[in-house]
Amino acid sequence: MLIRKLFRTLWQYKAQFISMVIMVALGVGVFLGFNVEWYSLEVNTRKIYEATGFADYRIYSDKGFSPEDLEAVKVIPGVDDATRFLSLNVSVKDDTDTLALTVSENMEVSGILLMKGEPYSAEDEDGFWLSDSYAAANHISVGDPLTLAYQTVTIKGTVRGLVKSSEYLICLPDSTQMMPDYSSYGYVYISPAMLDRSIPKMYKALIGSLYHQINVKSSLDKQAFVDAADKALGSTRLILSKDETVSWAETQGEVNEGKTMASILPVLFLAIAILTMVTTMHRICASEKTQIGTLKALGFKDRRILVHYSAYALSIGVLGTLLGVAIGYGLGWFIMDPDGAMATYIDMPDWTLHAPAFSWYVIIGINAFLAFLGFLSVRKMLQGTAADALRPYSPKRMKHLKFEETKRFKRLGFGTKWNLRDCVRHKARSLMTLFGVVGCMVLLVGGLGMKDTLDAFVDIFYEKAINYTTRVNLDEKTTLEEGKALAEELNGDWSASRAIQIGDKGYSLEIYHITRDKVRFADTDMKIVSLTDDGAYICSRIARDYRLKAGDTLSFSPYDSNEHYTVPVAGVLDSMTEGVFMTADFADRTGISYTISSVMTDAAEIPENKHILNRQSKQSIMDSFDTFMDLMNKMIWLLVFAAVILGIVVLYNLGVMSYTERYREMATLKVVGFKDSKIGRLLISQNLWLTVAGILIGIPAGVGVLQYLLTALASEYELKLTLGPATWLVSILLTFGVSLFVGLMVARKNRHIDMVAALKTAE
Amino acid sequence: MAIVEFRDVSRVYRNGDHEQRALDHVNLSLEEGKFIVVLGPSGAGKSTLLNLLGGLDSPTEGTICVNGRDISTLTPNELAEYRAASVGFVFQSYNLIPTLTVIENVALVKEIAPNPLSSHDMLEAVGLSDHIHQFPSELSGGEQQRVSIARALAKNPHILLCDEPTGALDSETGVMVLKLLLSMARDMGKTIIIVTHNQNIAKMADVVIRVKNGKIKACEEQENPLSVEEVDW
Repeated sequence: MLIRKLFRTLWQYKAQFISMVIMVALGVGVFLGFNVEWYSLEVNTRKIYEATGFADYRIYSDKGFSPEDLEAVKVIPGVDDATRFLSLNVSVKDDTDTLALTVSENMEVSGILLMKGEPYSAEDEDGFWLSDSYAAANHISVGDPLTLAYQTVTIKGTVRGLVKSSEYLICLPDSTQMMPDYSSYGYVYISPAMLDRSIPKMYKALIGSLYHQINVKSSLDKQAFVDAADKALGSTRLILSKDETVSWAETQGEVNEGKTMASILPVLFLAIAILTMVTTMHRICASEKTQIGTLKALGFKDRRILVHYSAYALSIGVLGTLLGVAIGYGLGWFIMDPDGAMATYIDMPDWTLHAPAFSWYVIIGINAFLAFLGFLSVRKMLQGTAADALRPYSPKRMKHLKFEETKRFKRLGFGTKWNLRDCVRHKARSLMTLFGVVGCMVLLVGGLGMKDTLDAFVDIFYEKAINYTTRVNLDEKTTLEEGKALAEELNGDWSASRAIQIGDKGYSLEIYHITRDKVRFADTDMKIVSLTDDGAYICSRIARDYRLKAGDTLSFSPYDSNEHYTVPVAGVLDSMTEGVFMTADFADRTGISYTISSVMTDAAEIPENKHILNRQSKQSIMDSFDTFMDLMNKMIWLLVFAAVILGIVVLYNLGVMSYTERYREMATLKVVGFKDSKIGRLLISQNLWLTVAGILIGIPAGVGVLQYLLTALASEYELKLTLGPATWLVSILLTFGVSLFVGLMVARKNRHIDMVAALKTAE
Repeated sequence: MAIVEFRDVSRVYRNGDHEQRALDHVNLSLEEGKFIVVLGPSGAGKSTLLNLLGGLDSPTEGTICVNGRDISTLTPNELAEYRAASVGFVFQSYNLIPTLTVIENVALVKEIAPNPLSSHDMLEAVGLSDHIHQFPSELSGGEQQRVSIARALAKNPHILLCDEPTGALDSETGVMVLKLLLSMARDMGKTIIIVTHNQNIAKMADVVIRVKNGKIKACEEQENPLSVEEVDW
């Protein structure tokens, strides 16, 4: 019989029940969704790292490594396996596309995962194992012929298989590009035998070993490995650990971003769900007090009544959780869609969704906690004798408040006083309303602010800083004079790039010669500045990590050399590239040697030149960023949607609660002669006050959350918090609109107040 | 002059196929300035009669005229205006706004009544001048009922409708409240209509209306009503 009563109680409080279920579902859904996102990424990337033998360390040398060098590394205690490795950007013959030609002597390290076609064979002398994403974007199938060109060398063969590789999990030609563009850039593996066949003997004699890298699997820590490798190879080498590679750093960055998101938004949703549950369960139990008392008076034991009402809370939790799990996996799928933007960014084969074990414990814990909240609310009503329990719940007695002594308060109208005192009397309900509005505002400011910030980022780093049409990348063999001549011919500016080490970390040194305004730089206030010849400029990540500022000195050494430089810091820049920047004049004065790696030009025609490795148009960079922005926009609209749902559900639930609690008072006003519209205005005005207060708190809170997110992303992007007027306007108006909409929905109910029935009941 | 006229008034409540006739073809005419008591057992229809007269409900059939105005066809908004201007209510359970002080509860009606009286004067009239800044929860039941009367009077209504005004009070406090209501009729010329089970209250009335099964069984004028002190409580 009590079970039947449970269902009827659920029906009786259906508005509260449904809104609580939605809140729990949203809380659990957002919590699970964000955790599914980062954890699936972690699990699925780990799978491909393991399947393809992702290397823990990469040792670089301009001169290349001999088989003896490889053996020397292999025998280092703690080294599990190693391979000589080559990755070289080559052109696709008769096309503008670029492929990273890759050879790993030992495919157990930095190898491939076959998606389609024949398995890799080390003896195959004309087989290509091509990136399946590049093949798909360029309509290339297994069995198709392919010809690659590097300077005067042509490599011909047939596509044997389509593959994925963890070395190119994020397949970017350089750091200016944010998203892979498989229509123009990919990678291809060939066997050492094919490499050997393709390179003319004379060329080989000239350049020595082609393998510029040794990739190593080892569990040694970096310092221990660097010391051992330097000793084994007899000189200091550039050694990068896996967390300094784009593939690892970017995917781990995504995982960490996911963890950061999972630690903020779900907490907000879950906190609101739990707090709403506290107020709602208390309210329901207060309304049910005489029924609780009746059951007690009839002889039902407290335990049975407690179980009965706790089951109500538990049923909200369980139903909300079931919906939430569906929302969570839906959200996870939405972000991790194998055909979506994330899959364009990270080229991994498996997009199965996984939830971390702790998230299930948290969800079980939340359900237990919700049931416990129900238990506490009922226990409060059961206190004392059966006669005590039978008495209707009496709300707290009114007390005079300090601010009532003020003249200003005395001058207030009755409606204002009524609402003010009601807010103070029902603090939990008012605070919850405030919390709901703040939550709505935080999500809107956070979401839309992120869009503004990224738009400003695109504007400064892409629209303004990239002031050229085409970037022409030159091969490593181009001499300084040849590079300068080409830049002159193309009427462009040029840059050189060198790998340097600050402390034990690797960075890029970018040397610029700008006379035609083709490249610009932004300072930390996102203002365009020109590089001066007074010193080196550092990106804000380096400035933060090494606590450097303009006027300090910076020490670095280029890799693969015994040079060491200490230069003044001329300024701090916000930059896409994590590195050091200087003018060519300053580099010359300091004595840093370099060769030109890129020419930035607006020339419509790029003449054939043996040193041109590839061309990259500004448009292709912008297009890749559009894909990235698509993903961000999806997330932002999701946040806006969540904010509106959160606002509506919380405000409606509390609005209904407020309406129920003040039903008798409104009936009295109606009897006295107040019109429905006036009573409605009174109800809405309280909602609007709390909304205004919520907005005022929500603005700094939203900015704070956004700043927290940007700080969490600071290791990846140098973003400056930007909030446009449209964001303020939309956030405020939307929050206000939601509040007004819900207020009107609740206020409409007062037309149906049964004055007679309401006033008959005992107070 | 008749201030209230019920002409063939019926109020039928329907619940599915079930039909309950709370008032059944009632005809009634009440004079201004009288102290009127409506008596009857539970479910007789006396509260329905009061609710119809107070504009809380509308009749299913017939017309109700108050001061010559037909209130049976008024819209909800017009009924609200009618309640604000013409009638005051006193309920068994006081129905004060708990978040407003005594004076604020009374002054509340200034927001809506066209000719409100001074809240202070009304509270003085009910003997509560010393409690004006207290909240209802800080007052006794009798005091709360007096606030409710002051609020009803502050609208300066023609008619005061009281539904079991002493039902929740002890006899001593109840007598005090009745004395107050009686003085409103005698000294201020208000028409007081009290619905009650209590036969003793009827002894004070100018007019006693007896209701049973939704019909007026009797409407008796009493030439010499007793004073409050004369009634054996």
